[in-house]
Amino acid sequence: MGVSELLASALRMSVPILLTALGAVYTERAGVVNIGLEGMMIAGTFWGAVGSFYYGPFVGVLLGMLAGMLLALIHAVASVTFKINQIVSGVAMNILAAGLTRFLCIQFFSMATTSPQVHSFKAWSIPLLDQVSFLKPVVTGVSPLIVVALLLVPVTYYVLNRTVFGLRLRSVGENPLAADTLGVNVTLTQYAGVLISGALAGLAGTYLAVEHTGMYIEGMTQGRGFIALAAMIFGNWAPVGAMWASFLFGLSESISFRVVASKIPYQFIKMIPYVVTLVVLAGVIRRATPPAADGVPYERGGE
Amino acid sequence: MSEMTTPNAGQAPVPETPAPSRRRFRLLPADPQARRFFWWQAATPFLAILFASFIGSLIMLAIGKNPFMVYAEMFSFSFGRIDSVGTILFRATPLIFAGLASALSFRINLFNIGVEGQYLIGAVFASIVGFSLKGLPAFIHLPLVILAAMLGGVLWAWLPAYLKVKRGVHEVISTIMMNYVAFSLMHWLIADIFIDRSQVIGAGGYGSPRVRMPLIEQSARIPTMHGFFAHFGINFPSHVYVNWLLFVGIALAGVMYYVIWRTPFGYEIRAVAQNPDAAEAAGINAKRQMFRTFLLSGAIAGLVGLSDLLAYFGYLDIDFPRGRGFDGIAVALLGKNDPFGVIIGAVLFGFLSRGAEGVQVFSGVPAEVITIIQGVMILSIVVAYEIVSRYIRIQKKKEAQ
Repeated sequence: MGVSELLASALRMSVPILLTALGAVYTERAGVVNIGLEGMMIAGTFWGAVGSFYYGPFVGVLLGMLAGMLLALIHAVASVTFKINQIVSGVAMNILAAGLTRFLCIQFFSMATTSPQVHSFKAWSIPLLDQVSFLKPVVTGVSPLIVVALLLVPVTYYVLNRTVFGLRLRSVGENPLAADTLGVNVTLTQYAGVLISGALAGLAGTYLAVEHTGMYIEGMTQGRGFIALAAMIFGNWAPVGAMWASFLFGLSESISFRVVASKIPYQFIKMIPYVVTLVVLAGVIRRATPPAADGVPYERGGE
Repeated sequence: MSEMTTPNAGQAPVPETPAPSRRRFRLLPADPQARRFFWWQAATPFLAILFASFIGSLIMLAIGKNPFMVYAEMFSFSFGRIDSVGTILFRATPLIFAGLASALSFRINLFNIGVEGQYLIGAVFASIVGFSLKGLPAFIHLPLVILAAMLGGVLWAWLPAYLKVKRGVHEVISTIMMNYVAFSLMHWLIADIFIDRSQVIGAGGYGSPRVRMPLIEQSARIPTMHGFFAHFGINFPSHVYVNWLLFVGIALAGVMYYVIWRTPFGYEIRAVAQNPDAAEAAGINAKRQMFRTFLLSGAIAGLVGLSDLLAYFGYLDIDFPRGRGFDGIAVALLGKNDPFGVIIGAVLFGFLSRGAEGVQVFSGVPAEVITIIQGVMILSIVVAYEIVSRYIRIQKKKEAQ
């Protein structure tokens, strides 16, 4: 098992975390904390599998993203419009998503915890690069969603830093009162941030079910939504940083697959991604600078 | 607990100050405006429950069931049978502890989502002390087991609390990571370290031993409350496991109420929750108070698994019930972080869980519908509280003008 195989596996493991972490960047830069990303990812795994099972992977992606966005919409209504505690609303999203998918899985597939095998995208090979023998495992058999995820990093960077929408998003997250005074629609901007995060988490879930495993399995997200939040924090609320952090977490997961044959009990190997997350958060957090108004509901007239 | 609701009873009345304690314990506020708002606030949970039931009805209609029949079945199954009532109380018992643990941390604006992991580790500690110490009388062994469970919970809460206070790590993410680690650790301790090797395997050496720790000594088991209820003419059948931890949980709720509202420790919790900077300025060490409260929340969380462990299973295996921590969050929110509200929320969840079994068996409605209702209920209850408190704020402003 060479280094390039390990890198290839790490890349594949980091994609769901990366997509969700990018989503987290959008919502948190708009000042809304979204702990419910895990639930939105769960919705993505299920609806991605449903769409893919009946109509193929494109519909799967569409349904997965829509399902994530629907949950995100509920989160936005609760936390932006009704201004309830964002953590509470996020936790409710996670509970709701778990119950709903289990119920729907019985309705669709007559099984509570898994779906049948579903259709995947046709894997790609990156031309030219696949001629380099070291890179071969990394760039052959690549899911198109991996390419999409990597492309979304510069796209997110551009949107946040070079567009009017990005400027508004950031200003709402830093100082909603100032943004409001300058005529930015705070509510609308925050809705946009939350909805994008839901869509990306749904996409991440779809990737897991449709591309990574080829089926939906209950609980297959395994806390990646939360790990993605940690990746976003580690990446200092920025897309490029989130990418490197996601890759680190992906690497820790792929290493954990590779040491299974060793003498370490497998329960400890299973802990690796979570312990790495804890260590990373403990070591890095002091340097991190969250948006100033992150997690604080904005109320006109500042009550 | 009845003593604490009248702390000044028996003392001579002080004429100069018109007995503030009596005013505080008036059921309804004296001021008519406040009284009107009180009814609004009291009605909110019911509105939220109605809304959640309405959403549940829509789902039932979608799968071709008559929601009225289903709810009627749920009620008659849950309250028409004595074993259902006992089961509701048994199911409510761990949720009282989980709800109190969550509520305590919410009180100081910390989100201990790690009750889940803390109670698993608490159960591991309790199990080890429960089976390894032999020959002790119950009045020594049982308290030791309970202390061990609390210690396990505290240990598992320590790291997130430390990271929060010293390193600024958000406790939600760290506690969730700790939950995953706790489950793997528990799994390892049961399967590789403490597995009961003395198990008798089926005749002829067939079958495999259960992945569980040794049986907990009888001296560490919690007795059921059947004898107690029999005094009141309520005779629970033997397949109901309602036990004295229910009483402990209710007593703990009373203690927590007293601590939060009547002690300096509780005052500091409330002050830090209101405004940590102002509390600091007033000489309260806000971080230390957060740290302590979080550990205390972990200690209570450690008790969550005991009802199942000591009254029902009698051993710890890898299928030990999970998810109680998350139910506890819901229960705390339902009860508005009030200790007695938590008890009501826990009984409601016990009812929902028992009722879910009833409708699954007798009406053919998947129990997951009830899970969805629970999720909707959490959300609608916090939204309802928020709307009502905002309405009250606006009304007060209007009337003040």
